[in-house]
Amino acid sequence: MVSTDFEVIRRKARVRYELRRLRMGVVGALPLAVVAGITVLFAHDRAQTLWLGVAATLMAAVMIVYGRSPQRAVLPGIAAGCVPLALALCANRMHGCTDDACASLCLPACALGGVVAGISVASVAVQIRLGLGFWIPASILAILTGSLGCSCVGYSGIVGLVIGYGAGVVPALLRRLVGTTRR
Amino acid sequence: MDSADPEALDRLMVRLASGDRSAFDGVFESVWVPVHRLCTVLLRHVPDADDAAQQALLKIYEQAPEYDRSKRAMPWVLAIATWECRTIARKRQRRREVYDTKDERTHADAEHDIIRRQLAELAVATLKTMSTVDQESLLATFWETTTTTSGPTLRKRRERALDRLRDAVRRVYGLD
Repeated sequence: MVSTDFEVIRRKARVRYELRRLRMGVVGALPLAVVAGITVLFAHDRAQTLWLGVAATLMAAVMIVYGRSPQRAVLPGIAAGCVPLALALCANRMHGCTDDACASLCLPACALGGVVAGISVASVAVQIRLGLGFWIPASILAILTGSLGCSCVGYSGIVGLVIGYGAGVVPALLRRLVGTTRR
Repeated sequence: MDSADPEALDRLMVRLASGDRSAFDGVFESVWVPVHRLCTVLLRHVPDADDAAQQALLKIYEQAPEYDRSKRAMPWVLAIATWECRTIARKRQRRREVYDTKDERTHADAEHDIIRRQLAELAVATLKTMSTVDQESLLATFWETTTTTSGPTLRKRRERALDRLRDAVRRVYGLD
């Protein structure tokens, strides 16, 4: 067989491979799209939640298509992000009221959810011993997923989530980085 | 990469399955030769084997992202190739385009038989145009029996008879 034939086969094979990965990405991101869709129904600012949902779904799909560590980060990222999302959705329906005024519980719920999400991602990353290629995509996806619910009080909810997440993840990340440099 | 190293292929397939595109060419080089060889053996027809090997390779890459890491790569690859050969063989049967060597030989034998029969008929027809002595000599040569004459005389007669037979054939069929 001529080398040009090999090139054609190689190109076709590459296309098939990438198409299958793309299909995997779409299928893998579908649950997150469903979650985002449900969240949009309960959201105050539907447009913002929709954009965040689209971003999170696209991010998950791209990570699966890319493969390697980011692909492995998808499930832990979504699972961790679901904690602040669920807490924020619950807090959205409740108010902490005193005699004088009522305060939304959304912000503390987001911060608390962020801490839990950060600890979850950190524990998974430590367990499977993956590098920044796992930490960064998992963190972005967890924050994006959590933001779907935390946008209930605007950007402050998302900021609260990020701070909480950082509080949860940074100690484990620092410990890991320090451990790596000592070795 | 050595295509005979199954463990190296396992490692390459695992890398490709996890999304490492740098393993792409390595898998191609390791897999092409065994897949093509298997298809050639199974189909016994080079163009069909080429088609089957190409299709098998495309399927291998298509299924590579879902490759089961607990299994060996080479049997998995060859199973896909075998399946592809089966599909092509069935298509070929449906088209009634059977190319295998057995049938080619049968076809060649039948053709050869027809030619031999025509030559025999031609020889008999030509023989009738010859003299009795010539006929006797040729028949004696054919049946390897001796006539009343023997030795150098018979040999000369045979030679002359064969020459005349050749000439007669040429004349009858316009071969001059």
